[in-house]
Amino acid sequence: MSGSASAQRPTWIAPLRLIAARIGAALLTLLLVSMVIFAISGLLPGDAAQEALGQGATAGQIAALRHEMGLDQPGPVRYVRWLGGIVKGDPGTSIVANQPVSKIISERLPNTLRLAALTSMVAVPLAFLIGVFSAIARGRRLDRALNVLTLSMVALPEFLVATLAVLLFAVKLRWLPSIALVPQEPTLGEFLRAYTMPVISLAVIVVAQMARMIRAAIIAELDRPYVEMARLKGVRPGRLIFRHVLPNAIGPIVNAMALSLSYLFGGAIIVETIFSYPGLASLMVNAVTSRDMPLLQACAMIFCATYLLLVLIADTVAILANPQLRKG
Amino acid sequence: MTGATSMDVSRRALLGGLAAGLAASGVRAAPSTPRHGGSIRVASIATSTADTLDPAKGNNSTDYMRHYMLYSGLTQYDGQLRGRPGLAERMETRDNVNWSIRLRRGVHFHNGKPLSAEDVVWSLMRHRDPKTGSKVANIAEQFAGARATGPLDLQVRLTGPNPELPAILAGSHFVIIENGRRDFSTANGTGPYICRAFAPGIRTVVTRNPNYWKPGRPYLDRIELIGISDEISRVNALLSGDVQMINAVSPGSVKRVRASAAHQLMETPSGIYTDLIMRADNPVTSNPDFILAMKYLTDRELIKRALFRGYATIGNDQPIPPFHPMYNSNIPQRPFDPERARFHLRKAGLQNVRLPIYVSQAANASVDMGSILQEHAAQIGLKLAVNRVPGDGYWATHWMKHPLTYGNNNARATADLTFTLNYQSQAAMNTTGWHNPRFDRLLAEARASTDIARRKAIFGELQWLVHEYCGVSIPAFITLLDGYDRRLKGLFPIPLGGFMGYTFAEYVWWDA
Amino acid sequence: MLHAARRLPLSGKIGLAIVLFWLMVALIGPFIAPYTPGAFVSEEVFAGSSGKFWFGSDFLGRDVLSRLLVGARFTVGLSVLAATLACATGTGLALTAAVGPRWVDELLSRAMDTMISIPGKVFALVMVAAFGSSLMLLTLIVAITYVPGNFRIARSLAVGLARLDYVEVARARGEGRLHLALVEMLPNMIRPLFADIGLRFVFIVLLLSGLSFLGLGLQPPDADLGSLVRENVSGLGEGALAVLVPALAIASLTVSVNLLIDAATQGKAR
Repeated sequence: MSGSASAQRPTWIAPLRLIAARIGAALLTLLLVSMVIFAISGLLPGDAAQEALGQGATAGQIAALRHEMGLDQPGPVRYVRWLGGIVKGDPGTSIVANQPVSKIISERLPNTLRLAALTSMVAVPLAFLIGVFSAIARGRRLDRALNVLTLSMVALPEFLVATLAVLLFAVKLRWLPSIALVPQEPTLGEFLRAYTMPVISLAVIVVAQMARMIRAAIIAELDRPYVEMARLKGVRPGRLIFRHVLPNAIGPIVNAMALSLSYLFGGAIIVETIFSYPGLASLMVNAVTSRDMPLLQACAMIFCATYLLLVLIADTVAILANPQLRKG
Repeated sequence: MTGATSMDVSRRALLGGLAAGLAASGVRAAPSTPRHGGSIRVASIATSTADTLDPAKGNNSTDYMRHYMLYSGLTQYDGQLRGRPGLAERMETRDNVNWSIRLRRGVHFHNGKPLSAEDVVWSLMRHRDPKTGSKVANIAEQFAGARATGPLDLQVRLTGPNPELPAILAGSHFVIIENGRRDFSTANGTGPYICRAFAPGIRTVVTRNPNYWKPGRPYLDRIELIGISDEISRVNALLSGDVQMINAVSPGSVKRVRASAAHQLMETPSGIYTDLIMRADNPVTSNPDFILAMKYLTDRELIKRALFRGYATIGNDQPIPPFHPMYNSNIPQRPFDPERARFHLRKAGLQNVRLPIYVSQAANASVDMGSILQEHAAQIGLKLAVNRVPGDGYWATHWMKHPLTYGNNNARATADLTFTLNYQSQAAMNTTGWHNPRFDRLLAEARASTDIARRKAIFGELQWLVHEYCGVSIPAFITLLDGYDRRLKGLFPIPLGGFMGYTFAEYVWWDA
Repeated sequence: MLHAARRLPLSGKIGLAIVLFWLMVALIGPFIAPYTPGAFVSEEVFAGSSGKFWFGSDFLGRDVLSRLLVGARFTVGLSVLAATLACATGTGLALTAAVGPRWVDELLSRAMDTMISIPGKVFALVMVAAFGSSLMLLTLIVAITYVPGNFRIARSLAVGLARLDYVEVARARGEGRLHLALVEMLPNMIRPLFADIGLRFVFIVLLLSGLSFLGLGLQPPDADLGSLVRENVSGLGEGALAVLVPALAIASLTVSVNLLIDAATQGKAR
């Protein structure tokens, strides 16, 4: 049915409708996440009042502070109030830091974005090259070498890799700083020195994951009958890969990329911890441990929104690239 | 008693013994004269969005340090934990209940406002307002009232006698802020440094206060305070030269710091301990024989050797460390004796019971202490299940809430504070929940007494009562380890905590 | 079985041998451990190799070999279980989404997006804070963390397949949805999915060690390989066996699993 409908309309209508539907779905997911986050945070034992007062608190003090923080309101009331704030662009006030959540996040978000962007700039081309070349060279020596390379990249826990790197490059050789505290107005040299180790530590993981998924996606495509046909027709391998195989494999490839890149936000926690990098992931862990719900929820919303955005881009690319999907 | 006792004199007499005990690690003559200038970065154990400029809310060593940089107290600790005059020029009392305080003249806040008695009244009494959320509200309960009697004079009335008030007021929570100040987005104090940047969870930057009330001090131009929670990373940051000073070096890292020619280590024996708490409100853990069994089952030597690599003082199941002037040296050291533990366990009829024991990284070294205890208990037929729970929420949800939990106790300036806060039966933080009428009576008597020998005798007996009957096992007192760049000079240990009891900022200078 | 193993390329054979070795260790390790893993047997911490302690002692003076033999069981068992659970659930849901009605696909996709957008380690942190840490909870957390990732990969493969002619033909033939999913589609997804399982196994092993870095791992005195690395990492500077040996164990385990899977999936293509 849909096929016959789209036949009468311009060809760009169907993909546009699909993409609009994806955006709608993303927004719906965002709403779902907000509920899940709110529900999960309700499971946590203790609350901000207890955490703030700590070991020496008396019941009276806790009750007073809880009232002060508005924690004695019922859950749904707090949820609706908070959601209303989010929609208006105000995620509330951190009950621990006693500052607007937006202010705290605005200090950290650029850090996370910068680290993620730098890592992507390194990781995406590298992963793409490794993935494509090992797929083309499938089973040959180059493929096996690249395979061992990507495998050994993720063979060790990242905290061990990062610690080893610090021991070698910061403590022993003193080439790079052991902590990624970037000065307020860094020179290019300071900037690069500060970011080198965190970016490499993160990129190692992401590259391995992406490269292997890209390789698998291309190989799956290479095994299709039309590739065999094209080969028999004498199409050159390079042309075959770039003109025929890649456009068809683009769906899984961008999907793998979206998944891997979303790791750069929440998954950076260990790298942030080891290099004392003030990013969003450690902020969120901090929010969990101090039971700072407005902050926790705001961070979760950011992670979720980022992820959904990445996936939306991946889906859009897949829709635009795949003639079959394009039909709706 | 004749007339008023000046604080300076009474404190020295009271704590005189401590001077001898700490002579070895106490104030050393400075090898060179202090010089001005220099900028350092200091990494402490933690930094989070809970970081605060409000001294009443100070929660960890990073906060205490920050507050001592920006504010000053009425008194200040010296190497022997004596409360030396700070913003208070004199503190006098006849009965240990009513104290008259005279403030130093010519002290100014960072914004230029002169210090007055009203500021002090506000700074002390705000701890009693629940809205303040003060960490020391329970200590401040004894402030019955305070009023200004002149621009620089005030009267403080306590609810009962307490000769230790000068030492209490040197704590970082009681530093002086401006009258009526409720907003702590920035700091306005009378301290040695002025706040330049404060980003909770990221960094604090302070610069030298040129109008500090101690002439010539402080020495450094600028200090940046950050937190590195991972210990290995913290030590790496020190060794790579990215920071010049760190606290809480783990005993396992001592070798690495010592191996570096550019760095030095400061040892501070402290009264901080990690204790096993056996609750009195549970039929098993309140059994006197069970309590003794656990105490005999504690392998103090192993804990000191393996967990602390020797950087600890063996404890004797009571909270006063051996180097404290009030320490009772007549109580025999309890040995590690599994046979005796087995005997007591059998006597209690509790062989083959199974008990959960709660440990957490929140309570320093408790995870490993629990493992050691579990191992030894298994050998005498007692099954302990170690439950490791996350550090966050530990104090609110687990600590003291189960029959067997581990806790941490900070060093307190005085024996009285230690006993009052954690062992008195009415105390909100009576960790074991024990109730010993004789203990309570003696403690009240010690407070009312101004006779030093009598007080020492009473505190000695209190230690024995805890050692023998209280459901607490205190295996060791922790020796704090700070690592620092050799070019940093002027450091000496103050046994309250690392970084010179958190007060290093106004003492150190950069020699380069 | 044996025949298939003989046909593997050399890398696959090496992988298979190491995987079998670790499975064996996981099975019998605790029975051949020379000491109880929690016992404090050495006066010296971070001791080197000796006749009494082959791999030296750890940061508390416990026998590294014994702890390794016992720890391998947790790592292998937990990771295999969680990876299988995650991939079975993820792929099952993906196939359901691909062949089921539109709304099922939408619902599942939204649910998965919701789950995956919460970072794994933070999710684990919250769950452990809420429910405490136990072996079962840890397995579940890890499995749940990796369901949506597998779902996305599998769904994107399955949706691609569902539009292909031969599936359309089968559909036109009147085959049931179950048949479409299991007979027509699943076999054609196996290879990329195996690559995914392999990598996911590696990531689970590493997530476990990441969790132990954050203090959320197994209950002491139990320790998986990642916890062994973490608790002894202060010996890294002096090159202590207590940290090197478990690190090597993790590396050999993760690499060999992938070598094996790569070889096995390639073998089929020939």
